[in-house]
Amino acid sequence: MSVIAEHGGIAEHIHPEPQGFIRKYIFSLDHKIIGIQYIITAFVFFVLAGCLAEIIRIQLMHANGGFITPDTYDEVYSIHGSAMVWLVIIPMLTGGFGNLVMPVQIGARDVAFPWLNMISFWIFPISGLMLFSSFLMGAPVAGWTEYPPMSLQGAAGTSMWCAAIFLVGVSSTLTGMNFLVTMLKMRAPGMTYTRMPLFCWGQFATAPLLMIATTALAAALAALFMERQFGVPFYDPTKGGSPVLWQHMFWFYSHPAVYIMILPAFGIMSEVIPVFSRKPIFGYRLIAFSSAAIALAGFMVWAHHMFTSGIAPYMQLPFMVITFIIAVPTGVKIFSWIATMWEGKIHLTSAMLFAIGFLVLFTFGGISGVFLAAIPFDLHVHGTYFIPAHIHFVLVGGSLMGIFAGFYYWFPKMTGRAMSEFWGRVHFVLFMIGFLGTFLPMHWLGAEGMPRRVATYDPQFQGINQFESIFSFIMTLAILIFFINALYSIRNGKKVGHNPWGARTLEWQIPSPMPYYNFKHVPSVFGLPYDFTEPLPYAHLEEELTDAPVPVGSH
Amino acid sequence: MSRHRGFQIVTVVLALLSIAEILYFWLMPSVEPWLPPEGGHPGDQVDWLFRFMASAAALLYTFVVGYIIYFVIAFRRRRSDPPDALGANIHDNPKLEAAWTIVPTLFVVLLSILSIKIWYVLQVQPANGLVVESIGRQWYFTFRYPDVNGEITSEMHLPVNVPVTLNMTSGDVIHSFWVPDMRLKADMIPGMINTIRFTPTRIGRYQIICTEFCGTGHSTMDKQVMVVEPVAQYEAWYHLWQARNAHAGNGIPTVSSGAISLVGGYAGAGKALFSQKCSACHALAPFGQRIVGPGLLGVLHDPAHPDLVDGAPATPADVAKILQSGYTGSYGHMPDQAENGLSNKDIANLVAYLNTLRLK
Repeated sequence: MSVIAEHGGIAEHIHPEPQGFIRKYIFSLDHKIIGIQYIITAFVFFVLAGCLAEIIRIQLMHANGGFITPDTYDEVYSIHGSAMVWLVIIPMLTGGFGNLVMPVQIGARDVAFPWLNMISFWIFPISGLMLFSSFLMGAPVAGWTEYPPMSLQGAAGTSMWCAAIFLVGVSSTLTGMNFLVTMLKMRAPGMTYTRMPLFCWGQFATAPLLMIATTALAAALAALFMERQFGVPFYDPTKGGSPVLWQHMFWFYSHPAVYIMILPAFGIMSEVIPVFSRKPIFGYRLIAFSSAAIALAGFMVWAHHMFTSGIAPYMQLPFMVITFIIAVPTGVKIFSWIATMWEGKIHLTSAMLFAIGFLVLFTFGGISGVFLAAIPFDLHVHGTYFIPAHIHFVLVGGSLMGIFAGFYYWFPKMTGRAMSEFWGRVHFVLFMIGFLGTFLPMHWLGAEGMPRRVATYDPQFQGINQFESIFSFIMTLAILIFFINALYSIRNGKKVGHNPWGARTLEWQIPSPMPYYNFKHVPSVFGLPYDFTEPLPYAHLEEELTDAPVPVGSH
Repeated sequence: MSRHRGFQIVTVVLALLSIAEILYFWLMPSVEPWLPPEGGHPGDQVDWLFRFMASAAALLYTFVVGYIIYFVIAFRRRRSDPPDALGANIHDNPKLEAAWTIVPTLFVVLLSILSIKIWYVLQVQPANGLVVESIGRQWYFTFRYPDVNGEITSEMHLPVNVPVTLNMTSGDVIHSFWVPDMRLKADMIPGMINTIRFTPTRIGRYQIICTEFCGTGHSTMDKQVMVVEPVAQYEAWYHLWQARNAHAGNGIPTVSSGAISLVGGYAGAGKALFSQKCSACHALAPFGQRIVGPGLLGVLHDPAHPDLVDGAPATPADVAKILQSGYTGSYGHMPDQAENGLSNKDIANLVAYLNTLRLK
């Protein structure tokens, strides 16, 4: 049977909800189920790649290593980096939270191409398994960047790595296109661009990056694969190739990719901070505009990863200056979030704590990014531990803190139950202590003379490395607490109704878990979702929910 | 405005704290708590930029974190608040937003000007001094000097206060040449020549470190040093190498054909040589424990491995032959005499030392 929904005189067909387990939960076309599938799969890969991180820290307890051989160590950090970037953070923030939340927030019933969405998802675990299976045939050793000619000499698993990353890139590209079309064409009546929730603005800025940048990576990977398997000389200088070509193509993708990994997290901040400050977001337009500005400028800075590679000296300058300029819109966002807290009524829920942690850690990572952009200083710290320190401050202190904030925030929307706030706070405190102890001293190690990607190192650095390893175990404990809390709360968490936080975006105005097809009536939108003193700016929502008083989280 | 009294106090405290931090970064006598001691020009310029950026970063970060902490405490929801209490209905403040867009933009312009200025200093270092070449190989650096035949594989010597132009490339994969004390680095890329120019001003021995992953032995590619010494000592070293390599081809390693005499090899000297020249790649451990090459403990007395890696029987003469002619095969690459810089006497001493080692 099919239900006919009325809205503005246009009748729309709603297909019946599939009933079988496989159609409902495995090969689902429903964006919410696909989003949750992405989140679960990405967390599985997060655990695997996290174990690799602990192997790295155990090896570095001793200046002479000795836990694993240098070759195995090289494989471990290469897969750790590749998996965390391509199998955890990007899919979690785009395919995961993007799918779960974005269509509902713009008042759509699904993404534009549900079949494509399902295919995007199913490519992702397959490519993830391919990536980890490269351990069976000798995993790549040259890090997540896989610079040739080193990667040309790598074991057979390096070709598997190429294929796996290529495939996960296809998944990203399809998701980007799907999201872009959804946001361009399927916004509810009245949902203008200047009324879109800022999480959607984050996704809106990310989608073109996914589509355009990933294709450059695909080309680079295809060339590397062909060179390795069939001897087509793209990168081997002894056959007329250029190793620097790979660096340009790789960073033409991978620099925008760091914005793919942070813009959706910015979006999560822009939702979580106003809701828990009980205050409108400060400077909506400037935050939305700065997302777009960062996305655009993100395409023009890739060579700042190559200041030591010997590109023409005068060509270095525009890359340095544009990189500095990106600090401006990023700073504007951070100032706006802090100003949102001014004169608020701040509820220190777990989600808000992680948002605050994000501000503290990401600002530090952003500042060390400016240090790295300055060519003279970069010439000193390039290729040292300063780089892992910076990248973990922005990707763990930024993206992962955003993921945790978003997970605590939207968990009730996924399950109808809330996670334990007490254990959420324990998670936050332990994670902050562990994180700072692990990654803060790395800046100093790098500046003092410890190169990255080493299995053994100068004994003068042993004390600090042991200190870092011990704190990394605290971080692991925090993440263990998080997983236990999440798994326990799925069935046993407190039932909290459809809008426990008193949020005003559309996903909180429908039941939890969200019903199939989201809205019986497609809503009409009359304003921004951040005016806490006004009535909700929506019409045609289900009445029993719109008329209910807005409850507020009482924490 | 008494409502915002706390904010004013916090602002003053943060401002004082920032001033203290800025004064610290400008007035600290050396950057050594944060960077290694500086050994030359233009490294001193980089340190100046570091002081500038660190001051600005301290100012910004103090205010960001200070305000976050203050806001969380001052504007937290109190138990006395009604459950649906809302914050102030503030949407924006165009003046404030304009300020925090324009002020950082001006700062970025200033930082760009300063960085470009120092970048320019790096570009215009005098090119009329000593020209040296360095070649990265898996997993060591070699050095070529004007009018010295062949590649020097041990140390790099430089005269103090003489401008140096260092041209570099690679013989295999990408390496990177970094001397932390000089604050300079360039990638060694096969098929390309990258150049750094600097003037060492402090006498000393400085570690040369590879910072681009280059294979199994990458972690051990930090054993060689750049020796900065008075001109007279440098010239003595230079003439020694000129004489020693007089018969080596022009950059192409040559190997004397005759077998090396092992008579009079002194194990004590060999032991010292081993820790300088061999231990980066070879452990004093059984054959199976590889760093880069196999472990050499009991190499001449191991019943499990009666043959050397090249298939020859493990005799002192055959060990000497590998030290002399090198080895390339399934166990990797071992430099030959032209590359490893060992004299015939050194080889005799090393073989004598290796002969003393027994498996436990």
